[in-house]
Amino acid sequence: MNLEELERQVTLLEDIQEIENLQKMYGYYFDTAMYQEVIDLFSENTESVEITDHGVFRGKEGVNRMYAGMVGMKRPGWMFFEVMQSQGVIEVAPDGKTATGRWYTPSFECRPFGGTKKQTWQFGVYNNEYVKENGRWYFKKLHWNLTYWTSFERGFLKVPKLSDTPFPHADAPATAYHPYPSGYHVPFPFRHPVTG
Amino acid sequence: MNLEELEKQVQLAEDIQEIEHLQRIYGYYFDNNMWAEIVDLFSEEQTESVEIADHGVFYGKKGIRRIYWDMFSGGDTPRQSPAWMQFVVMQIGGVVDVSPDGTRAEGRWQTWLCEAKPYGAYPRAEWLHGYYENKYVKENGRWFFSKLHWNNTFCSPVEDGWLNLPLMGWMPLPDADEPPSAFHTYPYHRNNVLYHYQHPITGK
Repeated sequence: MNLEELERQVTLLEDIQEIENLQKMYGYYFDTAMYQEVIDLFSENTESVEITDHGVFRGKEGVNRMYAGMVGMKRPGWMFFEVMQSQGVIEVAPDGKTATGRWYTPSFECRPFGGTKKQTWQFGVYNNEYVKENGRWYFKKLHWNLTYWTSFERGFLKVPKLSDTPFPHADAPATAYHPYPSGYHVPFPFRHPVTG
Repeated sequence: MNLEELEKQVQLAEDIQEIEHLQRIYGYYFDNNMWAEIVDLFSEEQTESVEIADHGVFYGKKGIRRIYWDMFSGGDTPRQSPAWMQFVVMQIGGVVDVSPDGTRAEGRWQTWLCEAKPYGAYPRAEWLHGYYENKYVKENGRWFFSKLHWNNTFCSPVEDGWLNLPLMGWMPLPDADEPPSAFHTYPYHRNNVLYHYQHPITGK
Protein backbone atom coordinates (compact mmCIF):
# COMPACT_ATOMS: atom_id res chain seq x y z
CA MET A 1 0.00 0.00 0.00
CA ASN A 2 1.43 3.39 -0.86
CA LEU A 3 0.96 6.52 1.20
CA GLU A 4 -2.00 7.78 -0.80
CA GLU A 5 -3.93 4.52 -0.49
CA LEU A 6 -3.14 4.39 3.21
CA GLU A 7 -4.42 7.92 3.65
CA ARG A 8 -7.68 6.97 1.97
CA GLN A 9 -8.10 3.98 4.29
CA VAL A 10 -7.44 6.07 7.38
CA THR A 11 -9.87 8.76 6.24
CA LEU A 12 -12.55 6.10 5.77
CA LEU A 13 -12.03 4.85 9.34
CA GLU A 14 -12.19 8.40 10.68
CA ASP A 15 -15.34 9.11 8.68
CA ILE A 16 -17.10 6.08 10.14
CA GLN A 17 -16.01 7.05 13.66
CA GLU A 18 -17.19 10.63 13.25
CA ILE A 19 -20.56 9.58 11.82
CA GLU A 20 -21.12 7.10 14.65
CA ASN A 21 -20.38 9.86 17.17
CA LEU A 22 -22.73 12.23 15.34
CA GLN A 23 -25.58 9.74 15.58
CA LYS A 24 -24.93 8.92 19.26
CA MET A 25 -24.65 12.62 20.15
CA TYR A 26 -27.96 13.23 18.39
CA GLY A 27 -29.39 10.61 20.72
CA TYR A 28 -27.93 12.14 23.88
CA TYR A 29 -29.07 15.64 22.89
CA PHE A 30 -32.55 14.41 22.00
CA ASP A 31 -32.91 12.58 25.32
CA THR A 32 -31.96 15.69 27.28
CA ALA A 33 -34.30 17.93 25.26
CA MET A 34 -31.38 19.92 23.75
CA TYR A 35 -33.23 20.60 20.50
CA GLN A 36 -31.19 23.61 19.31
CA GLU A 37 -28.11 21.36 19.52
CA VAL A 38 -30.02 18.74 17.52
CA ILE A 39 -30.92 21.26 14.80
CA ASP A 40 -27.27 22.33 14.51
CA LEU A 41 -26.28 18.74 13.60
CA PHE A 42 -28.17 19.03 10.28
CA SER A 43 -26.65 20.29 7.03
CA GLU A 44 -27.92 23.52 5.48
CA ASN A 45 -28.67 21.27 2.48
CA THR A 46 -30.76 18.78 4.43
CA GLU A 47 -33.10 16.69 2.33
CA SER A 48 -35.68 15.75 4.96
CA VAL A 49 -36.46 14.52 8.42
CA GLU A 50 -39.19 11.98 9.06
CA ILE A 51 -39.93 10.52 12.47
CA THR A 52 -42.57 7.80 12.92
CA ASP A 53 -45.92 9.08 11.55
CA HIS A 54 -45.20 12.76 12.24
CA GLY A 55 -44.80 13.25 8.47
CA VAL A 56 -42.01 14.50 6.19
CA PHE A 57 -40.28 17.83 6.91
CA ARG A 58 -38.17 19.05 3.96
CA GLY A 59 -34.95 21.05 3.96
CA LYS A 60 -33.12 22.74 6.81
CA GLU A 61 -36.19 24.92 7.16
CA GLY A 62 -38.19 21.73 7.76
CA VAL A 63 -35.67 20.58 10.37
CA ASN A 64 -36.20 23.87 12.17
CA ARG A 65 -39.96 23.55 11.93
CA MET A 66 -39.87 19.94 13.15
CA TYR A 67 -37.68 20.50 16.23
CA ALA A 68 -38.04 24.25 16.83
CA GLY A 69 -41.41 23.97 18.51
CA MET A 70 -39.64 21.86 21.10
CA VAL A 71 -36.72 24.25 21.70
CA GLY A 72 -37.00 25.81 25.11
CA MET A 73 -40.15 23.81 25.80
CA LYS A 74 -40.15 22.91 29.47
CA ARG A 75 -40.54 19.18 29.83
CA PRO A 76 -41.61 18.11 33.29
CA GLY A 77 -39.02 15.87 34.95
CA TRP A 78 -41.14 12.75 34.71
CA MET A 79 -41.60 13.07 30.92
CA PHE A 80 -38.60 11.41 29.34
CA PHE A 81 -37.14 9.60 26.36
CA GLU A 82 -34.13 7.32 26.58
CA VAL A 83 -33.43 6.24 23.01
CA MET A 84 -30.50 3.85 22.81
CA GLN A 85 -28.58 4.33 19.57
CA SER A 86 -27.50 0.76 18.94
CA GLN A 87 -25.81 -1.41 16.38
CA GLY A 88 -24.94 1.17 13.72
CA VAL A 89 -23.86 0.03 10.26
CA ILE A 90 -22.27 2.93 8.36
CA GLU A 91 -21.48 2.79 4.65
CA VAL A 92 -19.44 5.68 3.23
CA ALA A 93 -19.72 6.36 -0.52
CA PRO A 94 -16.53 5.72 -2.55
CA ASP A 95 -16.02 9.48 -3.03
CA GLY A 96 -16.16 9.98 0.76
CA LYS A 97 -18.77 12.74 0.56
CA THR A 98 -21.95 10.97 1.61
CA ALA A 99 -22.84 8.02 3.79
CA THR A 100 -25.77 5.92 4.94
CA GLY A 101 -26.42 4.45 8.37
CA ARG A 102 -28.82 1.97 9.85
CA TRP A 103 -29.43 1.78 13.60
CA TYR A 104 -31.68 0.04 16.10
CA THR A 105 -33.31 2.01 18.90
CA PRO A 106 -34.81 0.33 21.93
CA SER A 107 -36.30 3.08 24.11
CA PHE A 108 -37.78 3.76 27.51
CA GLU A 109 -40.32 6.55 27.62
CA CYS A 110 -42.82 8.32 29.76
CA ARG A 111 -45.30 10.87 28.44
CA PRO A 112 -48.76 12.25 28.99
CA PHE A 113 -51.88 10.63 27.56
CA GLY A 114 -54.85 12.85 28.09
CA GLY A 115 -54.62 13.69 31.76
CA THR A 116 -52.56 10.67 32.76
CA LYS A 117 -48.89 9.72 32.67
CA LYS A 118 -47.99 6.63 30.73
CA GLN A 119 -44.76 4.63 30.72
CA THR A 120 -43.98 3.00 27.41
CA TRP A 121 -41.53 0.81 25.49
CA GLN A 122 -40.63 1.87 22.01
CA PHE A 123 -38.59 0.19 19.31
CA GLY A 124 -37.58 1.42 15.88
CA VAL A 125 -35.12 1.51 13.02
CA TYR A 126 -33.17 4.45 11.63
CA ASN A 127 -32.23 4.70 7.96
CA ASN A 128 -30.22 7.89 7.83
CA GLU A 129 -28.02 9.73 5.35
CA TYR A 130 -25.02 11.88 6.16
CA VAL A 131 -23.03 14.42 4.17
CA LYS A 132 -19.50 15.77 4.57
CA GLU A 133 -19.17 19.52 4.14
CA ASN A 134 -16.02 21.51 4.85
CA GLY A 135 -14.43 18.46 6.44
CA ARG A 136 -17.29 17.73 8.85
CA TRP A 137 -20.14 15.25 8.87
CA TYR A 138 -23.76 16.40 9.15
CA PHE A 139 -27.15 14.74 8.93
CA LYS A 140 -28.57 15.03 5.43
CA LYS A 141 -31.62 12.87 5.93
CA LEU A 142 -33.10 11.30 9.03
CA HIS A 143 -35.81 8.69 8.88
CA TRP A 144 -36.94 6.76 11.94
CA ASN A 145 -39.36 3.91 11.44
CA LEU A 146 -41.51 2.80 14.34
CA THR A 147 -41.67 -0.95 15.01
CA TYR A 148 -43.81 -0.75 18.14
CA TRP A 149 -44.88 1.75 20.75
CA THR A 150 -46.53 -0.04 23.58
CA SER A 151 -47.56 0.40 27.18
CA PHE A 152 -45.09 -0.89 29.75
CA GLU A 153 -47.80 -3.01 31.34
CA ARG A 154 -49.29 -4.68 28.26
CA GLY A 155 -46.52 -5.26 25.71
CA PHE A 156 -46.27 -5.11 21.93
CA LEU A 157 -48.24 -8.26 21.18
CA LYS A 158 -51.38 -6.84 22.76
CA VAL A 159 -50.83 -3.13 22.01
CA PRO A 160 -48.42 -2.57 19.11
CA LYS A 161 -49.16 1.15 18.87
CA LEU A 162 -50.64 3.46 21.47
CA SER A 163 -51.99 6.12 19.12
CA ASP A 164 -51.37 8.01 15.89
CA THR A 165 -49.22 11.15 16.12
CA PRO A 166 -49.26 12.97 12.76
CA PHE A 167 -48.01 16.58 12.89
CA PRO A 168 -50.34 19.06 11.18
CA HIS A 169 -47.50 21.28 9.93
CA ALA A 170 -45.59 18.53 8.04
CA ASP A 171 -44.82 18.99 4.32
CA ALA A 172 -46.14 15.54 3.44
CA PRO A 173 -47.63 12.56 5.26
CA ALA A 174 -45.35 9.74 6.43
CA THR A 175 -43.85 7.75 3.55
CA ALA A 176 -43.50 4.46 5.39
CA TYR A 177 -45.39 3.90 8.60
CA HIS A 178 -46.11 0.22 9.20
CA PRO A 179 -45.73 -0.74 12.84
CA TYR A 180 -45.90 -4.24 14.26
CA PRO A 181 -47.45 -6.64 13.29
CA SER A 182 -47.45 -5.52 9.64
CA GLY A 183 -44.33 -7.58 8.89
CA TYR A 184 -42.97 -4.52 7.08
CA HIS A 185 -39.27 -4.76 6.37
CA VAL A 186 -37.46 -1.43 6.48
CA PRO A 187 -35.16 -1.57 3.42
CA PHE A 188 -31.44 -1.88 4.12
CA PRO A 189 -29.31 1.07 2.99
CA PHE A 190 -26.24 -1.17 2.71
CA ARG A 191 -25.26 -3.85 0.25
CA HIS A 192 -24.68 -7.45 1.29
CA PRO A 193 -21.03 -7.54 2.36
CA VAL A 194 -20.34 -10.84 0.61
CA THR A 195 -22.60 -11.03 -2.41
CA GLY A 196 -22.84 -7.26 -3.02
CA MET B 1 -0.76 14.13 4.59
CA ASN B 2 2.78 13.02 5.38
CA LEU B 3 3.74 9.81 7.14
CA GLU B 4 3.95 11.43 10.56
CA GLU B 5 0.48 12.98 10.33
CA LEU B 6 -0.89 9.71 9.06
CA GLU B 7 0.66 7.82 11.96
CA LYS B 8 -1.01 10.21 14.39
CA GLN B 9 -4.40 9.63 12.77
CA VAL B 10 -4.00 5.86 12.89
CA GLN B 11 -2.92 6.10 16.52
CA LEU B 12 -6.09 8.03 17.36
CA ALA B 13 -8.28 5.44 15.63
CA GLU B 14 -6.54 2.65 17.56
CA ASP B 15 -6.86 4.52 20.87
CA ILE B 16 -10.61 4.96 20.45
CA GLN B 17 -10.98 1.30 19.53
CA GLU B 18 -8.99 0.17 22.57
CA ILE B 19 -10.94 2.40 24.95
CA GLU B 20 -14.26 1.16 23.58
CA HIS B 21 -13.10 -2.39 24.15
CA LEU B 22 -11.90 -1.54 27.67
CA GLN B 23 -15.34 -0.22 28.56
CA ARG B 24 -17.17 -3.20 27.07
CA ILE B 25 -14.78 -5.67 28.70
CA TYR B 26 -15.46 -3.97 32.03
CA GLY B 27 -19.15 -4.63 31.38
CA TYR B 28 -18.63 -8.31 30.60
CA TYR B 29 -16.49 -8.79 33.73
CA PHE B 30 -19.03 -6.92 35.86
CA ASP B 31 -21.88 -9.13 34.64
CA ASN B 32 -19.90 -12.22 35.64
CA ASN B 33 -18.72 -11.06 39.08
CA MET B 34 -15.07 -11.04 37.97
CA TRP B 35 -14.06 -8.36 40.46
CA ALA B 36 -10.31 -9.03 40.54
CA GLU B 37 -10.22 -8.62 36.76
CA ILE B 38 -12.08 -5.30 37.11
CA VAL B 39 -9.64 -3.98 39.72
CA ASP B 40 -6.83 -4.60 37.23
CA LEU B 41 -8.54 -2.38 34.60
CA PHE B 42 -7.90 0.71 36.76
CA SER B 43 -4.67 2.69 36.77
CA GLU B 44 -2.49 2.05 39.82
CA GLU B 45 -1.17 5.62 40.17
CA GLN B 46 -3.65 7.82 38.34
CA THR B 47 -7.07 6.57 39.41
CA GLU B 48 -9.11 9.52 40.68
CA SER B 49 -12.27 7.83 41.88
CA VAL B 50 -15.11 5.43 41.27
CA GLU B 51 -18.72 6.35 41.92
CA ILE B 52 -21.62 4.02 41.16
CA ALA B 53 -25.21 5.12 41.71
CA ASP B 54 -25.63 6.13 45.36
CA HIS B 55 -22.88 3.87 46.71
CA GLY B 56 -20.76 6.97 47.31
CA VAL B 57 -17.35 8.13 46.08
CA PHE B 58 -14.27 5.92 46.51
CA TYR B 59 -10.92 7.62 45.91
CA GLY B 60 -7.77 6.22 44.34
CA LYS B 61 -6.79 2.66 43.54
CA LYS B 62 -7.28 1.92 47.22
CA GLY B 63 -10.91 2.90 46.79
CA ILE B 64 -11.18 0.67 43.73
CA ARG B 65 -10.04 -2.32 45.77
CA ARG B 66 -12.42 -1.42 48.58
CA ILE B 67 -15.55 -1.19 46.46
CA TYR B 68 -15.01 -3.98 43.93
CA TRP B 69 -12.97 -6.43 45.99
CA ASP B 70 -13.93 -5.89 49.64
CA MET B 71 -17.55 -4.92 49.11
CA PHE B 72 -18.74 -6.54 45.88
CA SER B 73 -16.62 -9.66 46.03
CA GLY B 74 -16.57 -10.17 49.79
CA GLY B 75 -12.79 -9.89 50.08
CA ASP B 76 -10.68 -12.99 50.42
CA THR B 77 -13.70 -15.17 51.14
CA PRO B 78 -15.69 -14.52 47.96
CA ARG B 79 -19.44 -14.64 48.23
CA GLN B 80 -21.17 -17.10 45.97
CA SER B 81 -24.22 -15.43 44.50
CA PRO B 82 -27.08 -17.78 43.74
CA ALA B 83 -27.44 -18.59 40.07
CA TRP B 84 -30.72 -16.71 39.74
CA MET B 85 -29.03 -13.45 40.69
CA GLN B 86 -28.18 -11.63 37.50
CA PHE B 87 -26.65 -8.42 36.25
CA VAL B 88 -26.67 -7.78 32.54
CA VAL B 89 -25.38 -4.27 31.85
CA MET B 90 -25.41 -3.38 28.16
CA GLN B 91 -22.71 -0.84 27.31
CA ILE B 92 -24.32 1.25 24.57
CA GLY B 93 -23.64 4.41 22.57
CA GLY B 94 -20.04 5.22 23.51
CA VAL B 95 -18.72 8.65 22.50
CA VAL B 96 -14.98 8.68 23.22
CA ASP B 97 -12.78 11.78 22.97
CA VAL B 98 -9.01 11.49 23.20
CA SER B 99 -6.93 14.48 24.37
CA PRO B 100 -4.67 16.08 21.72
CA ASP B 101 -1.53 14.63 23.36
CA GLY B 102 -3.05 11.13 23.23
CA THR B 103 -2.55 10.29 26.93
CA ARG B 104 -6.03 10.94 28.33
CA ALA B 105 -9.58 10.38 27.20
CA GLU B 106 -13.17 10.76 28.28
CA GLY B 107 -16.20 8.73 27.33
CA ARG B 108 -19.96 8.95 27.64
CA TRP B 109 -22.06 5.79 27.49
CA GLN B 110 -25.52 4.73 28.30
CA THR B 111 -26.54 1.45 29.83
CA TRP B 112 -29.60 -0.72 29.78
CA LEU B 113 -29.74 -3.32 32.53
CA CYS B 114 -31.72 -6.48 33.18
CA GLU B 115 -31.19 -7.49 36.78
CA ALA B 116 -32.42 -9.97 39.32
CA LYS B 117 -31.40 -9.55 42.93
CA PRO B 118 -32.72 -10.07 46.44
CA TYR B 119 -34.75 -7.40 48.26
CA GLY B 120 -35.10 -8.56 51.82
CA ALA B 121 -36.13 -12.18 51.46
CA TYR B 122 -37.54 -11.79 47.95
CA PRO B 123 -35.93 -12.17 44.55
CA ARG B 124 -36.95 -9.30 42.30
CA ALA B 125 -36.42 -8.66 38.59
CA GLU B 126 -35.73 -5.06 37.55
CA TRP B 127 -35.17 -2.82 34.57
CA LEU B 128 -32.51 -0.15 34.95
CA HIS B 129 -31.10 2.65 32.84
CA GLY B 130 -28.09 4.84 33.46
CA TYR B 131 -25.32 7.01 32.07
CA TYR B 132 -21.54 6.77 32.37
CA GLU B 133 -19.12 9.67 32.18
CA ASN B 134 -15.72 8.04 32.51
CA LYS B 135 -12.07 8.99 32.18
CA TYR B 136 -9.24 6.93 30.80
CA VAL B 137 -5.48 7.24 30.90
CA LYS B 138 -2.73 5.72 28.75
CA GLU B 139 0.27 4.24 30.58
CA ASN B 140 3.05 2.24 28.98
CA GLY B 141 1.09 2.06 25.74
CA ARG B 142 -2.10 0.72 27.34
CA TRP B 143 -5.42 2.31 28.28
CA PHE B 144 -6.76 2.08 31.85
CA PHE B 145 -9.73 3.59 33.68
CA SER B 146 -8.77 6.65 35.74
CA LYS B 147 -12.30 7.61 36.77
CA LEU B 148 -15.64 5.88 36.60
CA HIS B 149 -18.97 7.53 37.31
CA TRP B 150 -22.26 5.78 36.64
CA ASN B 151 -25.56 7.28 37.55
CA ASN B 152 -28.88 5.56 37.69
CA THR B 153 -31.76 7.00 35.71
CA PHE B 154 -34.13 4.49 37.29
CA CYS B 155 -34.12 1.09 38.97
CA SER B 156 -37.63 -0.32 38.71
CA PRO B 157 -39.28 -3.68 39.30
CA VAL B 158 -40.55 -5.22 36.07
CA GLU B 159 -44.04 -5.38 37.58
CA ASP B 160 -44.31 -1.63 38.19
CA GLY B 161 -42.01 0.27 35.83
CA TRP B 162 -40.19 3.60 36.20
CA LEU B 163 -43.32 5.71 36.38
CA ASN B 164 -44.71 3.94 39.41
CA LEU B 165 -41.48 3.00 41.16
CA PRO B 166 -38.40 4.83 39.87
CA LEU B 167 -36.08 3.65 42.64
CA MET B 168 -36.41 0.34 44.44
CA GLY B 169 -34.26 1.26 47.37
CA TRP B 170 -31.21 3.18 48.53
CA MET B 171 -27.86 1.42 48.56
CA PRO B 172 -25.24 3.71 50.12
CA LEU B 173 -22.10 1.84 51.14
CA PRO B 174 -21.02 2.59 54.68
CA ASP B 175 -17.30 2.95 54.10
CA ALA B 176 -17.36 5.27 51.08
CA ASP B 177 -15.01 8.27 51.25
CA GLU B 178 -17.85 10.64 50.44
CA PRO B 179 -21.58 10.52 49.81
CA PRO B 180 -22.69 10.41 46.13
CA SER B 181 -21.96 13.64 44.23
CA ALA B 182 -24.92 13.71 41.86
CA PHE B 183 -27.50 11.05 42.53
CA HIS B 184 -30.89 12.12 41.25
CA THR B 185 -33.06 9.37 39.83
CA TYR B 186 -36.08 9.73 37.60
CA PRO B 187 -37.86 12.12 37.39
CA TYR B 188 -34.99 14.36 38.56
CA HIS B 189 -32.32 12.55 36.57
CA ARG B 190 -31.63 15.14 33.88
CA ASN B 191 -28.04 16.41 33.88
CA ASN B 192 -26.99 14.11 36.71
CA VAL B 193 -23.94 13.31 34.60
CA LEU B 194 -22.84 16.29 32.53
CA TYR B 195 -21.53 16.05 28.96
CA HIS B 196 -17.76 16.01 28.65
CA TYR B 197 -17.80 16.92 24.95
CA GLN B 198 -18.45 20.08 22.96
CA HIS B 199 -21.07 20.24 20.22
CA PRO B 200 -19.28 18.89 17.10
CA ILE B 201 -20.59 21.65 14.81
CA THR B 202 -21.09 24.72 16.99
CA GLY B 203 -18.33 23.90 19.51
CA LYS B 204 -20.56 24.91 22.43
